[in-house]
Amino acid sequence: MKLAVISCIHGNYEALNAVLSDIDAQKADQIYCLGDLVGYGPYPNAVVEMIRSLDIPTCQGCWDEDIVEGLNACECSYPSQLAETRGRLAHEWTNSVIHPEVREYLATLPMTLKLDNLCFVHGSPSSQHEYLLPSMDGFAALERVLSADADVLFCGHTHVPYVRDLEDAALSVNVQQPDQTESPKQFQVALRQIVNVGSVGEPRHGRPNATYVLYDTDTAQVTLREVPYDYAKTCLAILEQGLPPIFAWRLARGMEFAERADDPTHVCER
Amino acid sequence: MTHWAILSGIEGNLAAYEAVLQDMRRQRHPVSDLYVLGDVIGLHGDNDAVIQRLQSPRSSEWVPQVCIGWWEEQCFSLHGLNSSPDAPELMAQFGGDGVKRLWESVSRESVRWLRSLHFGFHELDCLLIHGSTVSYADELTPDTPAIQLCDRLVRADANHLFCGRSGQTFECWVTPTRLRSTVTTLDGVQDPQDQGKTPRRVVGIGSVGRIPGQATYTLYNPESDRLNFRTVNYGKAKGFGATIA
Ligand SMILES: [Zn+2]
Ligand SMILES: [Zn+2]
Repeated sequence: MKLAVISCIHGNYEALNAVLSDIDAQKADQIYCLGDLVGYGPYPNAVVEMIRSLDIPTCQGCWDEDIVEGLNACECSYPSQLAETRGRLAHEWTNSVIHPEVREYLATLPMTLKLDNLCFVHGSPSSQHEYLLPSMDGFAALERVLSADADVLFCGHTHVPYVRDLEDAALSVNVQQPDQTESPKQFQVALRQIVNVGSVGEPRHGRPNATYVLYDTDTAQVTLREVPYDYAKTCLAILEQGLPPIFAWRLARGMEFAERADDPTHVCER
Repeated sequence: MTHWAILSGIEGNLAAYEAVLQDMRRQRHPVSDLYVLGDVIGLHGDNDAVIQRLQSPRSSEWVPQVCIGWWEEQCFSLHGLNSSPDAPELMAQFGGDGVKRLWESVSRESVRWLRSLHFGFHELDCLLIHGSTVSYADELTPDTPAIQLCDRLVRADANHLFCGRSGQTFECWVTPTRLRSTVTTLDGVQDPQDQGKTPRRVVGIGSVGRIPGQATYTLYNPESDRLNFRTVNYGKAKGFGATIA
């Protein structure tokens, strides 16, 4: 079976349409979505309606959660102060235009989805707000995949796609307790994978093209896809809606400097 | 010479804490620093008395360095001082009676003092904390999956992680021997990296007040890297004296 996995559409209807056409052309059998349907972009309602009308299984993203729960006091919704100021404006705008039934739908989204040996999350299995960066320690990354009880963990949230193979891991543990003999144990894990599917509507890999991933469940082949679309249309709509112009600027470049987390593994305890 | 005494889980049990202090005074290698890794308060003792004892050590005594534990977080929750109001964890485990007792047994001033405490201490290549950097409620034991212990050590950014949540005394050496990581981006495949690391360990430091009559705590010499788990019998069981476990 050929899966298409998309994430972080962020109210960008143009980009979603382009990606859906590409998925059609690639003849994928099933689409999964890893959340962040809303936020930053000008068409949050239209994006949600499209995802719903296609019955695409979807996880709740960090932006979806914030629209449902309200912005929490924990500053961890934003990786930096600059990101926070902009994020707040976008949150308030999105919050004011979102339809009640769209909000209700976002509230029903699950944190994780499973399909056999595959697990789908927005940020990480422990939080929608955790960034699984490709530079994260390999053992910590492996822990995330194993905690999801999966062979392949699909995530988004960083807006930069990558595939990470974690191979031939070996770990030993030696417990010493008072009045007990030592008990050395060995653990080995042959192969696990993290697949970050990038972002449809707010890419940050250095080009303005939308990104998503194809996965063949028979061959375990991962394909990172990059899809050009008419981003100028979305940029114009961002400006027309009175959203921060920086969102249009960075959308046209596919880059972002303020969104790098100080502590990417921070887990919010809300 | 630095010689640390590390303890947790007094849980309002003043007699247990006094017994541990006495055991510390008896050590041949004098204790230089005292760390208290949370759970100062609990349901079955005199919480305010223990807090006062920690706040004002006698002139010849160590000034304890205290951090926040599970019980303190429950207390903050009851007082609306953290992100989850009404202490759902406390309610689930100890019911309405537990909530009432904790609410009544910690004065406002004590709550304010507890709130000023740290979440943990980074000293040398050690992290001293109640649970882990993931959460105050994170309970690490010898039975915790190896990869999870490894993850907590990586996140702790330390070679030695001292924690008190489980109340057990144990020493768990974790060796992340090898792991080959290969990242592929839109620009192509990057060189594989071996993520193997030197051995590091999680240390369970015991519990002073949880078991009546028997306190456990840990002595650590960062220079020699030597650990000494202490078991102190007190009260009725006192006749047996302190035993080295
Ligand atoms: Zn996103
Ligand atoms: Zn996100």
